[in-house]
Amino acid sequence: MAFRPTALCNLSLLLRQYPRRSYSSSTSSVSLTEVSHFDKLASSWWDPNGSSRLLHQMNPLRHDFISSCLDSQPEPPSIAKRRYLDVGCGAGIFAESAARLHSTESVLALDPSSEVIAVAREHAQQDPLLLQPGRLEYGNKSIEDLPTPKSSQDQFDILTLFEVIEHINQPAPFLCSCLPFVKPGGWLILSTIARTWMKLAYDKGCGRGGGQVGAEGTHDWKKYVNEEEMRSFLGGWMGGGVMGGVRSQGVVFVPGVGLEGGGWWGEVGELFLWG
Amino acid sequence: MAVGNPSKALSPYICSSCSRSLKLRSRKFATAASPDIYDVVCVGGGPAGLSLLTALRSSKATSHLSLALVESQDLDRAQKWHLPPDQYSNRASSLTPSSQSFLSQIGAWSHIDTSRVQPYQHMRVWDGLSSTSRISFDSPAPEPAIAHMTENQNIIRALLARLDSLEPISLLDKTSITDIHLGPPPSSPAPEHASLNLSSYPHVTLSSKHTIAARLLVGADGLNSPVRTFAGIQTRGWDYDRHGVVATLKLSSESSHNPENPRGVTAYQRFLPTGPIALLALPGPYASLVWTTTPTQAARLKSLNIEDFIATVNAAFRLSVVDLDYMFTLSSGQLSELQWRESVSPNTSAEANGDIPAYVTSVQESSIASFPLRLRHASSYTTHRTALIGDAAHTIHPLAGQGLNMGLADSKSLASAVEYAITHGADTGSEMNCLDKYNIDMWMRNNRLLGAVDKLHWLYSVKSGPVVPFRGVGLRAVDALGDLGLKRWFMRQAGGL
Repeated sequence: MAFRPTALCNLSLLLRQYPRRSYSSSTSSVSLTEVSHFDKLASSWWDPNGSSRLLHQMNPLRHDFISSCLDSQPEPPSIAKRRYLDVGCGAGIFAESAARLHSTESVLALDPSSEVIAVAREHAQQDPLLLQPGRLEYGNKSIEDLPTPKSSQDQFDILTLFEVIEHINQPAPFLCSCLPFVKPGGWLILSTIARTWMKLAYDKGCGRGGGQVGAEGTHDWKKYVNEEEMRSFLGGWMGGGVMGGVRSQGVVFVPGVGLEGGGWWGEVGELFLWG
Repeated sequence: MAVGNPSKALSPYICSSCSRSLKLRSRKFATAASPDIYDVVCVGGGPAGLSLLTALRSSKATSHLSLALVESQDLDRAQKWHLPPDQYSNRASSLTPSSQSFLSQIGAWSHIDTSRVQPYQHMRVWDGLSSTSRISFDSPAPEPAIAHMTENQNIIRALLARLDSLEPISLLDKTSITDIHLGPPPSSPAPEHASLNLSSYPHVTLSSKHTIAARLLVGADGLNSPVRTFAGIQTRGWDYDRHGVVATLKLSSESSHNPENPRGVTAYQRFLPTGPIALLALPGPYASLVWTTTPTQAARLKSLNIEDFIATVNAAFRLSVVDLDYMFTLSSGQLSELQWRESVSPNTSAEANGDIPAYVTSVQESSIASFPLRLRHASSYTTHRTALIGDAAHTIHPLAGQGLNMGLADSKSLASAVEYAITHGADTGSEMNCLDKYNIDMWMRNNRLLGAVDKLHWLYSVKSGPVVPFRGVGLRAVDALGDLGLKRWFMRQAGGL
């Protein structure tokens, strides 16, 4: 894969332009305040009526989106079983579901919060399917701690970053460090919350009433990323021949109805790329 | 398998008695530590339970699931069920087009013995008190039938045959349930390595002393559902103080089916103040009777000799309510009573144009039975890792013939919720990620149907007062508005479309 991270990252609109205190170490994308926040949330992660309910409800849409991506490939890879790398897996909402799929060979799921990973491991013990050797493995680390794959056999068919980008201090270098883990012809799939006035009003106005993604204090509006920013950032990669294309889809929570997927809702933009 | 392996591998080195004891010990350990775990354990092998398992097996997405069926009856007998063409079981149902298409979709309809199925194109419904009000439903010939009458045993046998043609499931028949409990809590402190935690899995102890665990336990186990009791789900409802009297009848030969004579393909229902009496066509000159009435009248009907029983059924479609009530005061002699009354006021026009059914001429031996009628509705169909379908979830008044159809609709809905969960990697026992879909899909729908049928029952039990002429007006209005689509809507409701 022809890939020049330094040059590409310079193009990035994702490098934050507003001043912000950063606690991240030079080797990690992870902010320590974010980690301690998620440590506190860990226990409520699998509570169906807890603050993560919306994430649970969004999960099937993630699979639909991945399926639509795979279906869009002109020549789908012949391999029957797929390997997933789920970065920022939390307590494993997506990782568990991906590991249960009939078409999955293995899932490696990473999260820097040790409390959250402990909850994830404990929860997976409730499902004999997930305990099958190699099916689902958790790591209490960030992607920078993983050895860079040496061959395509160590790479992953699908790398997912669900609701992660908005918690990262410097998304551009972080995305750059993710790419070497994706197999040629594989997919990097991410979702995030768009930085729109509507979402701001929503968080401030009714976010505490219900329908908020995550508990209070989980998200900072200033860290949200818009679809256009992501597209132009990824466009730089495409120009460099790293990627084949970008697809995106919006999702919005309609009170009383639930989650609706649609092209023009920019509230939670789901974007992906493949190289 | 895994249990047998160590002793087998070591057999050249260990004496036979030691290896036997090793085997025994390891087997005991294996059962204590992990019971057989199934993706779906269905309790109850009636049409609802069997159609659920068949639907799961025949869908590509769910065909790999491990399924178990626990049933107290002998399923072998159900599979070999056979009656000669001049005999019909007294438990027959009217299958709506949507039930029929579900059975086709899961590949069971082709196993139905169609010589024992009677489609009907017409319905005649009328009120016992305001005799002028009458409603006719006619489905023109090119359109599909309103519904298909067939015996429940025919449906069960077809489902078993279809299941037999698919990847085998664990059929635990002639087996009852002695206990249902949750699995043991996880050992604390947590062991170093990941160990299976089945504390949320229902464990079903069987009469064979065997215990199986279920990712999803389905109660298709009827009115007094043990699964519902285990799940702690309450039911609401009441007893109607009515009994349903069923029988298989033979009608006079003029009812034989041909396009010129629609009488044989018409369902008849008359609302008497004690409850509706319905006659539903079976193939040939046969028909199924469902007569809802008071326990006293039901007991009287069952005590009559065959001639008088037949005369009372014929009278119930022909005589005025006052005359009919008088006949119930007699302990015998209904036949001569009917003959005398009909000679005084003959029903010639209704007989001629097929507004009332043909005369009943005989009753199949020992086909007369009765059962108490109830309305029950579970407050929810699901809890974590448990779902209720069919009569375990709801029991309905039989006047609309919807009981079996509702059970099949439950199965269809639950199977599609499980399919969605499987294709999206969800735990099929989770309420939020799977079962809620089924509960939301079916509970309100069934509640509306239960409520509508219940209201019809009370509406037609009123003997006098202002409501009686109005309900006649209501039926007449529905009939007259046929061209405006309202009747079409009623027929669709009856057909469950």
